[in-house]
Amino acid sequence: MLPFSPPSVYQTSKCFATHGKMGHLVPNQVPSKSKPWTTFASQDFIHRADLIIPQEVFEMVREALINAPAPQYKRVVMSLADIIEPDFMGKYIKSGSIAMLSEGRMGVDNVFTLRQGILTMYLDKAAYEQTGIVGKPHGAKGDRGLKPRWVVEIDLNSASMSPGKKGFNRLVYAAKNALGQPLRWLLYHLADSTPTPDPLVKHNPTTFTVNPSISQNLNTSVPDLKIAIDTNMPKARAKEDFEDISTEFYEWLSLVRLQSPRIQPRDQINHYLCRYQVPGDNIQEQKLCKISWHGFLPPWWARQTLVDILTTLPSKTWFSLSTTTFSKGLSGDNAECTILRLPDSGGEYLLWEVKSHE
Amino acid sequence: MNSKKNEQPFAAVILSKAHDKKEANQIFTDKVQLRPLFLTPTSPPPSDAREVRRRRAQQKKQAARKRLKPKPLSSSQRRELGLYDVPREGQKYALFEPLHNLWLGYIREILGNEIYTGGEGAASKLCSADFHGAEVEVVRSGCVSRVGIMGIVIKDSKFAFEIITKKNVLKLVPKEGTVFRFRVPVQNQQQTETTKAEGNTGSGQQTDEKMEGLETTATTTTAPPDKPPPSMVFEIHGEQFRFRPTDRATRKFRAHFSKRL
Repeated sequence: MLPFSPPSVYQTSKCFATHGKMGHLVPNQVPSKSKPWTTFASQDFIHRADLIIPQEVFEMVREALINAPAPQYKRVVMSLADIIEPDFMGKYIKSGSIAMLSEGRMGVDNVFTLRQGILTMYLDKAAYEQTGIVGKPHGAKGDRGLKPRWVVEIDLNSASMSPGKKGFNRLVYAAKNALGQPLRWLLYHLADSTPTPDPLVKHNPTTFTVNPSISQNLNTSVPDLKIAIDTNMPKARAKEDFEDISTEFYEWLSLVRLQSPRIQPRDQINHYLCRYQVPGDNIQEQKLCKISWHGFLPPWWARQTLVDILTTLPSKTWFSLSTTTFSKGLSGDNAECTILRLPDSGGEYLLWEVKSHE
Repeated sequence: MNSKKNEQPFAAVILSKAHDKKEANQIFTDKVQLRPLFLTPTSPPPSDAREVRRRRAQQKKQAARKRLKPKPLSSSQRRELGLYDVPREGQKYALFEPLHNLWLGYIREILGNEIYTGGEGAASKLCSADFHGAEVEVVRSGCVSRVGIMGIVIKDSKFAFEIITKKNVLKLVPKEGTVFRFRVPVQNQQQTETTKAEGNTGSGQQTDEKMEGLETTATTTTAPPDKPPPSMVFEIHGEQFRFRPTDRATRKFRAHFSKRL
């Protein structure tokens, strides 16, 4: 219609590195206030997760993680009107913890997410104006006249969202008129609390099981996992040093996750082709094990897994857990959260949080 | 009396005291006896061109105002008098349903056969039609709380529609940034498969029309009770429609690009 395209602001992903010390874990209590836990909880739905451990401790992990019942997720075709049906709402949304994600790319299509009872709708301008529920502008600020995008958040758990109330009626009207098309959803619900009779059955869900895939006995050169920053140095120097160290470790961890040949012990690549070298002087050769999950997992699964790992593994060994979320926006950048616990350090960890542009 | 006649005037006496005789006489004649008396201080009017133009414009305005007798009411006076307010007893949806039926008859008469086909002809007729008594639904709006308002149009003013809803509430919906949907049920003797005709109107941005089709397997004479009757549905973009009905009757609508859409 208009000769020029709407403005798009591309911002690169940002990585936030944290160096801290984890406290002791109280059994049966998942901590929620301190740093590694809040980061994992604030993620969106997880697409992939990787766990890297030394081969020696694999047996301990096997019982805890691998022989435990694998998480399951479902794919179903529903419309928004089906979700706010009293049957589905009462059994799944109000009582249980359900996580749902609809199809579509966030910057382009209309995407809906349901998490902890909060329905979030990412809409374009036409859909927002037809929906009739108040929302907030979404995306880069500035120049809002040309087709901005909008976010509408509705708390389905609140008392005002029951049939007959005004707010709920607006949602029903919107689901009937503006947002009535059926979409594919990914759905995660705890398997032990499936309600009977199941309102999902009539939508014919397909169930997928997230089985971990294990790669064992990977010969890798492991750097000296230690952070040694001289505290007598001026602050700016220390900050630069920390940046260098954390970037090197993150790079090495990413190569392990990719199972790249560059980190194998006797790698003979021509230095014109690749100049990568494992950081540090004290490089050892170790066998590592990589366990990865690929599917649709809610963020509390990551927290629970981290707790399980911490309770299973001896406190001297190092490990690394990284979770990648579904991509948002046109550029397809993912947000990721990686934690590396250092060996022999009494809970010292490095945490990298990569935030994508929304 | 004789002494008074022979006496000199008082001014001459004083002057003779200050000046010598010849001068006193001269001053007396010039400045006292033949003193010029100005009747109006500003006449004649200044001959500045700007002043002339200004005076002429003022006179014209006064003449025009004189012609409007009695003078039209100002908006605050109008509001005070409450001439266009609907009284509380009159705010009933049921009262306006006969008006709605009248409007349906009027629109069917205007559209004739174009109620089945839609298109440019129907669009131009609808643009100049009157909408008092139409059943309207707000479908899209920049102010999202207006979406979903449904009722009968009571008043069609230049910038807003006054609508009475089924719950007997009077709502004033501004036309700016809002899309209204009107529905005209089609009166059929027997049901036939009606085809969808997409309105491709010359006054493109003003009205969009759609036909709602109803498919039947057998020819029946009465509509199944749960399905809505087949109707012609058209949408009006309020942005382009901000005219009084009287002005709209003779207006030629042209397509305008809308920044909002």
